[in-house]
Amino acid sequence: MKLLKIAILPAALLLLATGCATTPQPDCSLPDGKNLRVAIEVSKAQLTNGCEALYDAYFDRLLTVAEGDPKPRHKQTFSEFLEWSTDSGLLSQRQAQAYYNRYFNVKFMSLAGDYNNCSYTCPRQAEVLTRMEEELSDKEQGLLRVALDRDSYYRADQLLKETELVLAATCTACAAN
Amino acid sequence: MTKQSSFRRRPVSLLFASLFLLAPVMVSAATTAATGPTIRLFPTTVLEDIRHTGQVAEEMESGLNSIIAKLDQQQQLFVEAKCDGAEGDPGCDQIARQLGATYLEMLNVMSEGLPDMERAVMSTRNSLEKRLRTEVGKKMTPWDLQENLLGKTPAAAAKAQPAMRGRSGLRLSERFRQYYSLVASGGGAGAEQSLTVVAADIYLDMDEAAVLIARTQEEISRATLLEQLNQSFGVITPEMQEVVAGVKSILFGDFEAAAPIAGPPPGDVQQAYSSPLEM
Repeated sequence: MKLLKIAILPAALLLLATGCATTPQPDCSLPDGKNLRVAIEVSKAQLTNGCEALYDAYFDRLLTVAEGDPKPRHKQTFSEFLEWSTDSGLLSQRQAQAYYNRYFNVKFMSLAGDYNNCSYTCPRQAEVLTRMEEELSDKEQGLLRVALDRDSYYRADQLLKETELVLAATCTACAAN
Repeated sequence: MTKQSSFRRRPVSLLFASLFLLAPVMVSAATTAATGPTIRLFPTTVLEDIRHTGQVAEEMESGLNSIIAKLDQQQQLFVEAKCDGAEGDPGCDQIARQLGATYLEMLNVMSEGLPDMERAVMSTRNSLEKRLRTEVGKKMTPWDLQENLLGKTPAAAAKAQPAMRGRSGLRLSERFRQYYSLVASGGGAGAEQSLTVVAADIYLDMDEAAVLIARTQEEISRATLLEQLNQSFGVITPEMQEVVAGVKSILFGDFEAAAPIAGPPPGDVQQAYSSPLEM
């Protein structure tokens, strides 16, 4: 009995000590430096090691890093990173499309909708235009400051103005019915 | 400023606004004629309405042109005769009355032309309203609208800017000349411009112009009455001169045109990348 106590007590103590130990926290410090390739590799490693909740922050950081060395081919780099994100299960295909098009396409994701303009867009005209303006500033970062695609950015800017004009006229016409 | 003079100033500012609003309509219409409708926003009846509005405006311009020339001569005579401040001088009073009579003539020409223009504007506005509501409002989602505005080349920067509403700087007849030459040549300058933008632009202009024309007609009646009263005293008011100067700026254009704004620096020549994620 005494022998049993001698054997069990340290074992129990050891079990308690190890049982209360927590799993180590993943390192989710955002990548820094000037090299986009390196920043992407670091991001990939950390995102697949428990930091997926911070995906937005990682994507923003990558854009900031890319701004330091803008190149037209960054469009492709980010597209590939987003595709990797869907393959890794971090994003759905739709989420990846939303990210890419918001930053690197002329078209506005905030101008989506399945119903006609009179019934859907006109009642929330101001809100739609506000969201488009917010998206335009993201396009400025992606198209202009990261990918050096001036033409596409200016076209997006133009599209926003045209949309504002056409919606003003269309919604006036809809209201007059 | 007296109450009378403020009454006189308002009709003219309103009329100018109306005429300026109508001017881009003609330019827009020219573009329309040049591009040919892809969605049915510009049937023949709408184009005919616009053309008629242009004719009315041109007639008004022709009528005002000779009156303005006469006003200029009378004004010059008034200055050369050193009538400014020479109140009570019979000769100067006579010149002042002649000036006032010509001014009334100008107001009459405007008030005669406006009803016809109002009818044309209303007709165009109503036709376009119906078209926009059906084609863009009911038959398109916001995404469709975006694709329609971008056309087939979304990545290309737009060469043709949408017509600027209320744009000035060209005499009316020159705008019509451009309009007719564009129609005759069947394309050119504005060929890349979205018809939907043109339709929206014209519709909003017409909508505003219809209201302004109605208000201008009321104000002209009031200004005419006041000037008829002034005829008894032979007074040339600064407001009258302002009115004439304003009308001249419409007829002969704005010579102080702003310098063109520099465009963005040319982008790097690049192979356009198309992502599989692109929508």
